[in-house]
Amino acid sequence: MRHEVVWMAVTETSQQSPSATTVELQDVRRTYHLGEPVHALDGVSISLPAGSFTAVMGPSGSGKSTLMNMVGCLDTPDEGDVTVAGQDVTVLSGNERAKLRGTELGFIFQQFNLMPRLTAAENVTMPLVFHNDLDDGRRQRAETLLERVGLGDRLDHTPPELSGGQRQRVAIARALVNEPSLVLADEPTGNLDTDTGAEIMELFEQLHEAGRTILMVTHERHIAEHADRIIHLVDGQIEEIEQVGGER
Amino acid sequence: MKLTESFRISWRAITGHKLRSSLTTLGIIIGVGAVIVFMVLGGAFEANIAQDIREGNDEPGMWVNTQQESSGFGGSQILTNPIYTESDVAALESIDGVDFVAPEANKRAIQLRHGDQQQTGQFNIQATDPQRLDGDLSAGELFEADDEIVLPADAADIVDGGLAVGDEVQINYDGGPTKTFTVVGIVEESPGGGNNRIPTAGYISLDNYGTTVETPDGDTENAYASMIVAAESTDTLDETQQSVLEYLQTDSDAAQLKGDDQVIKAQTVDDAVDQIGDIIDQFTFLIGGIAAISLVVGSIGIANIMIVSVTERTREIGIMKAIGARKRDIIQLFIVEALILGVIGAIIGVAVGLGIGYLGATGIGWPMVYPVDWIAIAVVIGMTVGVLSGLYPAWRGARVDPIEALRHE
Repeated sequence: MRHEVVWMAVTETSQQSPSATTVELQDVRRTYHLGEPVHALDGVSISLPAGSFTAVMGPSGSGKSTLMNMVGCLDTPDEGDVTVAGQDVTVLSGNERAKLRGTELGFIFQQFNLMPRLTAAENVTMPLVFHNDLDDGRRQRAETLLERVGLGDRLDHTPPELSGGQRQRVAIARALVNEPSLVLADEPTGNLDTDTGAEIMELFEQLHEAGRTILMVTHERHIAEHADRIIHLVDGQIEEIEQVGGER
Repeated sequence: MKLTESFRISWRAITGHKLRSSLTTLGIIIGVGAVIVFMVLGGAFEANIAQDIREGNDEPGMWVNTQQESSGFGGSQILTNPIYTESDVAALESIDGVDFVAPEANKRAIQLRHGDQQQTGQFNIQATDPQRLDGDLSAGELFEADDEIVLPADAADIVDGGLAVGDEVQINYDGGPTKTFTVVGIVEESPGGGNNRIPTAGYISLDNYGTTVETPDGDTENAYASMIVAAESTDTLDETQQSVLEYLQTDSDAAQLKGDDQVIKAQTVDDAVDQIGDIIDQFTFLIGGIAAISLVVGSIGIANIMIVSVTERTREIGIMKAIGARKRDIIQLFIVEALILGVIGAIIGVAVGLGIGYLGATGIGWPMVYPVDWIAIAVVIGMTVGVLSGLYPAWRGARVDPIEALRHE
């Protein structure tokens, strides 16, 4: 298995020194006004070093999703700073954030979120369609990535023709197609059975070993334990940062 | 995002909902189809009339008449004032390129009688130069004496059994005497000219014509309301027409006898075809415009389905935005989708319109015409309608908040 690891390695151009920080959150606050103010994030500071694998755990309503949206440049904080891949997200326009998402981030969702009418290969190349004018090599890149996640024979299948585990593999390939600085995973095994979930986590481990920076939200302890460290969120605040890495 | 990419993705969206897409384009198909059908039929009708006019008038020439200017829609009114004198006729005949001049001298009749059969109504009896009828005779010969008459075929049929050469017919002039003529010939087709609203019942010698005016020189001469000026050659018809008009509008007696707001015209067959074509065009536009209303309905259909589509695909929009799509990418996708629907609708509409137009035109017996400019216009309208009706839905799609959208089931 280990000999396959190389393929997921970051390329030379995006190679970062181990000390470089991919994501930096400084005292981030986000309040929703739903009748009474809800402090989804209440002064959160996190730093994700390049190559780190971080899990976020917490009960529902603890601010996990809001944190993901912040790091994923889908939302901006009311207060505090968010820096992703060296860019201050708070000053970026909507289109600039879209570009940042398309070029620096890879998303993996619980619901897979594939385009239902596009084939697996087309889904994988989707992020390139918006920000990469190169047509050549796109298909080749998608094929390589799909082969490596074990779907070399499913290139032209559409999501409804694939199983849950296969769909999540397509989503993982899609998250890697733009050589992202950070891979964001929101309950990646939440919709999968235990065995399939374990296979998906195996892929995450390979990504980690290859030097990818990963942030993963989960509410399952055994899934979170695949990471180096677990951030426990409660009521929009960091309760504890638990180091779990080392045994792998 | 490249346009080719959005075409590919939009095409998937369209083919992913075949029934819905078909029904959506149906509005445009009907709209464009209806416009094309009317343009084909209008054009075919016009071509048919032009053909008819040319068929009956293959000799080069022109029809000289007097018209009241600017009586609005439908063109000018043709007057029956006798202002073209014998001197004018003689002068015209001496112009280069003029073959002969046949004045049209119409006498109004109210009754035709043959034996104990009679027809009452309004009839034109044209006193004319027999040369005009030369070549149109289907039976008998041209009149020579002033009690001989040539009948058009349809007038010969107004009595039971029909009138034939050698028969006698009594004509009762309006407010005047009754005169007996001997039928000497039958013409198959009317040589044109004259007042089309009243049927021509016969052609007689100019000797029967008794309308005179006082010329500017003080003489009393026969005068006519209109004339046929035959030209020697089709090639020089335009020049001959110019010379005839120039003479009539400047040196002729008619120029002085006509009223101030009256205009002397010399119309060739082409002029007549153009004039009738203009009138038919106006009606075609009018009906085509009404048909175009269905295009508006079609565009509302596209807009409606695109709005539904945006709502239905909120989650997809959210996914695309999460993985890097900008607002303009989403707008592009939906406008391209609407554009494709519009263009496909227009193309099918043109095909359907031409098909129905062809069946209609050939069914009636009109020649088929292909309104090329309208086909181009229809496709452009289809594109425009598509883009316009896609604008609002696209804008709504671009506004979708990816966080909300991804939560959307």
